[in-house]
Amino acid sequence: MKLAFFNDFTLGVLKNGNVVDVSEAVNDVPHVTPSDLINGVIADFSRLRNRLEEAVAKSDGVPVSQVRLRAPLPRPGKIIAMAVNYLEFGAREMPTINAFIKSSDSVIGSGDTLVLPPAKANIFHHEAELGVVIGKEASNVSAANAYDYIFGYVNFIDGSARGLGNGSFFWGKSWDTFGPMGPCVVTGDEIPDPQNMAVKLWVNGDLRQDFPTSDMAHKIDKCVEWCSSVTTLEPGDIIITGTNHQGLGAMQDGDVIEMEAEGLERLTFNVRDDLKREWPHGIDQATADRVAGRSTTGGFGEPASR
Amino acid sequence: MKLVYFDDFKLGVVKDGQVMDVSAVVQDIPHMGPHDLISRLIERFDEYRGRLEQAAETSSGVALDGVRLRSPLPKPGKLVCMAVNYMEDGTRDEPAPINAFLKASTSVIGSGDTVILSKDQATVFEHEAELGLVIGKTATKVKAGDWRDYVFGYLNFIDVSSRGLGSPPMDSFFPTKSPHTSAPMGPYLVTADEIPDPLNLTVHLSVNGDLRQNYHTSDMAHKMDECMEWASSIVTLNPGDLLALGTNHRGLGPLQDGDTVIMEAEGLGRLEVHVKDDQKREWRRETRLQRTEREAAEASR
Repeated sequence: MKLAFFNDFTLGVLKNGNVVDVSEAVNDVPHVTPSDLINGVIADFSRLRNRLEEAVAKSDGVPVSQVRLRAPLPRPGKIIAMAVNYLEFGAREMPTINAFIKSSDSVIGSGDTLVLPPAKANIFHHEAELGVVIGKEASNVSAANAYDYIFGYVNFIDGSARGLGNGSFFWGKSWDTFGPMGPCVVTGDEIPDPQNMAVKLWVNGDLRQDFPTSDMAHKIDKCVEWCSSVTTLEPGDIIITGTNHQGLGAMQDGDVIEMEAEGLERLTFNVRDDLKREWPHGIDQATADRVAGRSTTGGFGEPASR
Repeated sequence: MKLVYFDDFKLGVVKDGQVMDVSAVVQDIPHMGPHDLISRLIERFDEYRGRLEQAAETSSGVALDGVRLRSPLPKPGKLVCMAVNYMEDGTRDEPAPINAFLKASTSVIGSGDTVILSKDQATVFEHEAELGLVIGKTATKVKAGDWRDYVFGYLNFIDVSSRGLGSPPMDSFFPTKSPHTSAPMGPYLVTADEIPDPLNLTVHLSVNGDLRQNYHTSDMAHKMDECMEWASSIVTLNPGDLLALGTNHRGLGPLQDGDTVIMEAEGLGRLEVHVKDDQKREWRRETRLQRTEREAAEASR
C-alpha cells in the first residue's frame, strides 16, 4: 500500500496514478497534527489495513496531477542518516558503521522547493537514499529480527551543503527544506527485496545517480540493529541508508530533480537559489573519485592539491 | 515560574520546595502525551500563565523530594547542542568556529533517573554540564538582537558523551552523543523572567560529592544571541526545542558504575542522576585539568 498526504494533509492511498482519500478510514486514530496521524496509522496498521483496503477498493480517486502532494512523514520523530554507507560499486572497503541525526524540520514533499541558503558552501549536492520507515518501537533489536520493526520505504534526498564548519553534519545537512521525501510511504510487503532495488536520480531529465541497493555497505538489518542499540526508534522514524557517491552533482537554481527507488513512485522537487550561484552541470567526478579512493584530494567542491 | 513533571507525568509548579499539581489547568490543550503537552503550553504560555499561578496558589502541594521527578521536556522536538562553546577559563585565544550537533530526543531522562553506560567500547564516558535554553516560539532566521523574544526558559542539562565511538577523528555525534539515557535534564524548567542574566550563572557539577565542574556562563564563547541567530539560520526552532549552550571542558571527568551526579546551574535547581555500568569499567577519578596537571608533574620528575 502506498500512503500519501495531499492537499491540506488529507491522508490518501496511491492507486494507478490516482490518489484515494482514506481519511474516513482512520478517523479514530488520535492525533493533533498530520505527523501524529501518520505515526498512529503506522503503529496501528495491522488493525487499520482492512479498512484502508476497503476504502481504496470503493473509489477511483482523483489524478495525482490534480492535487498537491505533501511529505508522507511531514515531521518524523527522528531522521537517522547513515554516513558513508555504500561500497561505491565495490571500490572501497567496508567502512565503520556511523550515522548522524538530520533535522526533522528539513522535510519537504514532492512538488516542493529546496531553497539553497546564502551560506558560502563549496557546493550543494543531492544524495538519493532509500529511507526505511520504522513500524514499531525498537530498542536493542537484533539484525535477525530487524524486519519485524520496519513498516515500509520512502524515497529520500539528503540535501548536503559542503565545506561548512569543517564538515559539521548539522551545518551541512540540517538546513530547512534539505530533506525532500515522498511521494508516498510504501509498505514493506510491496518491496520483497529492499537490498535489490535500483535507485535513480535525474536533474533536469539527465540521469545522475544510478545505483543498486545491493551496493549498500551495512545492510538494512544491520542499520536497524545498530541504530536501535544507540537510541530507541519509534513508529514513523526514518533511517536513511546512505548514498552511492558516484553520481552526485550540484543542485542549483532552477533545477528540477527527480528520484525513484524501484517501486517507490517518483519524487520531484525544485531548487531555488536567490543568489543564482553556478556550478558545472553533470556528475561531480572529483567527489566520485575521492570517495571511491581513486584520488586523495579534491571533491566536495574543494580544489585538488598537488 | 518553575514547571515540572512528576509521578505519572502530572504537570506541576514548584514553589518553596513544594510541587503543586496544575494539570487541571492545561487539560484543554490538545495533546498526544506529556512531550507535546509541554511544548503546546510553552507556545501559548501567556494565555495560561495567570491560571497556572492561581492554581499554584490554591492547591495544596506535596514535598518535591517525595515525588518521582520526570524530565520537564520528555521528548523535545529537537535537541540542538552547541559544540566547543567555552573559552575554557581564558585558556583559548579565540572562540572555536561556531558549530553544533543534534542529539536524539529519545535519550532524555529526568532527575532521579539513571544513566546506563552502553556496552560499546568507548574510551571514556564523560559528563558535560550545560545551560539549556528552551525555545518559546517558532524561530527562523532570528536576528541576534532579538534573541530574548524566542526564549521560554532554562534548565540544567548534562550532555553525556561516549568518547571514541564511530569513525574518529570524524565525529558524526550520533554514536557518541545519542545513546540511550545520555540526555539528563531537569529537575524543572525555569521561565526566563527568573533568570535575568543567563551569562552570569555559576554552573556546578559534582560526582559523589566531589566538585568536578565549576564554571561561569560568562566564559561562554558564542553567546546566546549569536547561537540563536546562527542555529535559526539553519533550522527552524520550535517551542519546546532545546538549545544546549555547551560546556567548559576543564572539569570534565569519567562517569562510572555507582556514581551519583549532581548538577546545578544557579537558579535552576538540582539535577541528580545515577550511573550504572553492567561491565563495571573503571577510570581514574579525576578531571581533565587534574589529569593534565598530574601528567605534567610526572613528566617533570
